Amino acid sequence: MKMNTRKHSAARTRLAAMSLALVTGGFGQLAMAQTDAPAAARQPPAAVKPDYAPYPDQQFPNRVYWGVAHVHTGYSFDSGMFGVTTTPDDLFRVATGGEVILDNGTRFKQDRPLDWVSITDHAEYMGISDLLRVGDPALLANPQGKRWYEMSKESPQKGVEAAIEAVVSMQTGKPVFDASKITAGAWAHAVSACEKWNQPGVFTTLHGFEWTCAPGGNNLHRTVVFRDGGDRVGQVVPFSTFDSQDPADLWTYMDAYAKKTGGQVLAIPHNGNMSNGQMYDAETFDGKPMDRAYAEFRASHEPLFEATQIKGDGEAHPYLSPNDEFADFEKWWDMNFQKMEPADKSTLNANYVRSALKTGLELQAALGANPYKSGLIGGNDAHLGVVTTPEDNFFGEFANGLPSPERWKTPLVMKHNDPKQGPLVSVWGEQAAGLGGVWARENTREGIWDALKRKECYATTGDRPTVRLFAGWDFAKADLDRADYVANGYAHGVPMGGDLAAAPAGKQPVFLVYAMRDPDGPNLDRIQVIKGWLGKDGKAQERIFDVAVSGGRKIGRDGRCKTSVGNTVDVPNATYSNSIGAPTLSAFWKDPEFDAGQLAFYYVRVIQIPSPRWTAYDAKRYGVTMPDYVPMTVTDRAYTSPVWYTPGT
Amino acid sequence: MKRILQEPLVHFLVLGALLFAGYGALNRNAAPPPGRIVISQGQLASMLETFTRTRQRAPTREEFNGLIKDRVREEVYCREAMALGLDKDDTVIRRRLRQKMKFISDDMAAQIQPTDAELEAYLAAHRDSFRVEPQFTFRQLYLDPAKHGENLALDAAQLIAKLNQFGGETNVAGLGDPFMLDNAFTSAPASEVARQFGQEFAVKLGGLQPGHWQGPIESGFGMHLVCVSERTEGRRPALAEVRDAVRREWDDVQRRKANETFYQELLKHYTVTVEEPAAAGAQIKVAQAK
Repeated sequence: MKMNTRKHSAARTRLAAMSLALVTGGFGQLAMAQTDAPAAARQPPAAVKPDYAPYPDQQFPNRVYWGVAHVHTGYSFDSGMFGVTTTPDDLFRVATGGEVILDNGTRFKQDRPLDWVSITDHAEYMGISDLLRVGDPALLANPQGKRWYEMSKESPQKGVEAAIEAVVSMQTGKPVFDASKITAGAWAHAVSACEKWNQPGVFTTLHGFEWTCAPGGNNLHRTVVFRDGGDRVGQVVPFSTFDSQDPADLWTYMDAYAKKTGGQVLAIPHNGNMSNGQMYDAETFDGKPMDRAYAEFRASHEPLFEATQIKGDGEAHPYLSPNDEFADFEKWWDMNFQKMEPADKSTLNANYVRSALKTGLELQAALGANPYKSGLIGGNDAHLGVVTTPEDNFFGEFANGLPSPERWKTPLVMKHNDPKQGPLVSVWGEQAAGLGGVWARENTREGIWDALKRKECYATTGDRPTVRLFAGWDFAKADLDRADYVANGYAHGVPMGGDLAAAPAGKQPVFLVYAMRDPDGPNLDRIQVIKGWLGKDGKAQERIFDVAVSGGRKIGRDGRCKTSVGNTVDVPNATYSNSIGAPTLSAFWKDPEFDAGQLAFYYVRVIQIPSPRWTAYDAKRYGVTMPDYVPMTVTDRAYTSPVWYTPGT
Repeated sequence: MKRILQEPLVHFLVLGALLFAGYGALNRNAAPPPGRIVISQGQLASMLETFTRTRQRAPTREEFNGLIKDRVREEVYCREAMALGLDKDDTVIRRRLRQKMKFISDDMAAQIQPTDAELEAYLAAHRDSFRVEPQFTFRQLYLDPAKHGENLALDAAQLIAKLNQFGGETNVAGLGDPFMLDNAFTSAPASEVARQFGQEFAVKLGGLQPGHWQGPIESGFGMHLVCVSERTEGRRPALAEVRDAVRREWDDVQRRKANETFYQELLKHYTVTVEEPAAAGAQIKVAQAK
């Protein structure tokens, strides 16, 4: 029993549990299930009288909270460039269920509110400290500033007059007072909006920015997400690519923040697909081989990879995973975005998160530390001041992708930057993705951020399926259907993002996996476990196991189900039916080829049944026809953070 | 330059540097004579402060000298760029300037403090936007259609009879089929029910009489037996309960109004003439801007 949408519900829940238990005492038959109390509560410390209610000791996460740690407003340079004027206030309003009018006059509202958001506008825009800010103590200390402040308090009309005075004073090039002492600007606006909308227990806002680094057009972007309130975050300004292009300098900045304020902050790389083999390679920024210290430095600051977003899915690539029939999914054009030409295949290995996880095992064996021991999360990256994920409510990444009959063919970049050569990427190639599902116990900054840090989260390509896993050595098949499977799972195993080490003799890792479809979304096709391990030759390998499939299909001895779930999508009408697939799936799975001496990781991929892609909704709503190369269906999915196995010494 | 600007995904960072620098040069320098560059004490202090807030430490002498050299280089480039007119008709720079203007008027609006009476009036005019949702305290058991097949209705009826026999407060953990959602919910708002069980189920839950087990109720996942023990109707809140939210919305309205007034005030200083589009290919009718 758990409900924590309101602040005091934990206490209320405990009270309710106790009264419930008292009442049920007389009905042995129906109270049977309760005798099997959660394991966490079964073993209280010796000499302490056990509590009657099982709940006081339950600290485990009990709910998925949906959000993104990557979205932009008009404060970002490349949003403003397109005339987007939405503010962080607008984004938070939309995320909590409100409405906004976008810059082409279209009304936008999300299908459902989000639980948490980190707005990550580009640092390169915000970090400049010379913007005028009114109400700042430094300004009020100035006679002219104080006069404006008084005018603005007097009446809105006087405020406007004061603003005009200020503008005039700027245009003459003669500042009325020394502006160098008045720092802040857009960052201060962003920080204050973020403070204003944070409602512990209901909606969480995380302070953040994006470090927009792309030396030579090789994308090394990171979003940077803070755990703390404005009192701490406001003590620093964002670190920009003007400060340094070396990710290690960003991590040093993060350390300096933590040291100065006592706060915490993490970074999440994204769009390896545009890094030209630079995002997840085996070298430092200077091109030197990594050493152990560097690997640890990176891993400790970047606990997550953004695995999917509008500019393409980054989980796997068919060239790297030829035996994975689901790998060819919403692939963006791998490219360097200075030259605007397709990347060389030899660089793909360092562009995708599955291969990064594999490279991590190889580096761990070589260096003694894994730089790529990161969990997976979905980002959105829309630059419109809204999060836009479901297929039927997709507004594009930039203003040129806002809904219109023509948008699908609007070019995003030209081949080799040459308009004559035609588009390399057009808007139809954008995918309506992604979201992050976070397992936490409370919807607060601490609850959400701590879950991100411990990697207890997963990525989806836009829908909201629930996915949960526990890995351990001693789970039995009967544990799968226990009423208290969550308490039992935490007591005897680890959740996604966790570690298993030093296998007991003769034991294999056992996984309990649960998936439930989005309550208002497509059914599930299958649950897969994707295993990566370090072979005897020092090269990392991968293998996919289907562990649960819908509709009574069979999983072969090779661990795969070759039968497709089918397809109910009616493209012309942009509809589908949940007559195939299953609303819930679960699996008890043991690794059949486990070697206790090999480094390994396991993550879960949940595949939904096909549904109409956003392009199909466009075709239907606008009555337009698109060429065959534009996909009309999508097989959305979820990727969990891995569980890692490390051999004992 | 033109070609780069046509490319949406091109990095704007170089342009950004130019822009900021250009603006900074315009804004900060008390117009030193042409050909003379002065890095003022105020600028040095600002550079020092920006560095310190970013890195959380003071620059070394070498770094500070580097910053100064870079500032001089920036100054030279910016002055030359502006002399060449490179800042004219640059979309990035124009948009950035426009945005800075908007910050100013946003900030002015942010200084306006509402009275309680104003907030009350706003709430009265928008009562439904601030409505407190209905809340449900209920328990549910899941029945998996795949497991029960044709017996679903019968199994459901038997279980309901048994549950009602033992009363509404019976512990139900372990009954029904395994399911990822909880059996019990305390004061869950309707939107939360919809989030977890889907819209359809939430609507049906609103129609149930409290006090006994009933069903099966369909959701996207399958069938549910449900016992609502308490239902709190939705209501219109008093200001004290929703003050922060009302204030936020009120601020937003003031901001929009102030922005518009600000713009209209500025517009008064101009006469706007929009020429007719060249005849050939002019299919778009131009609305008068003023």
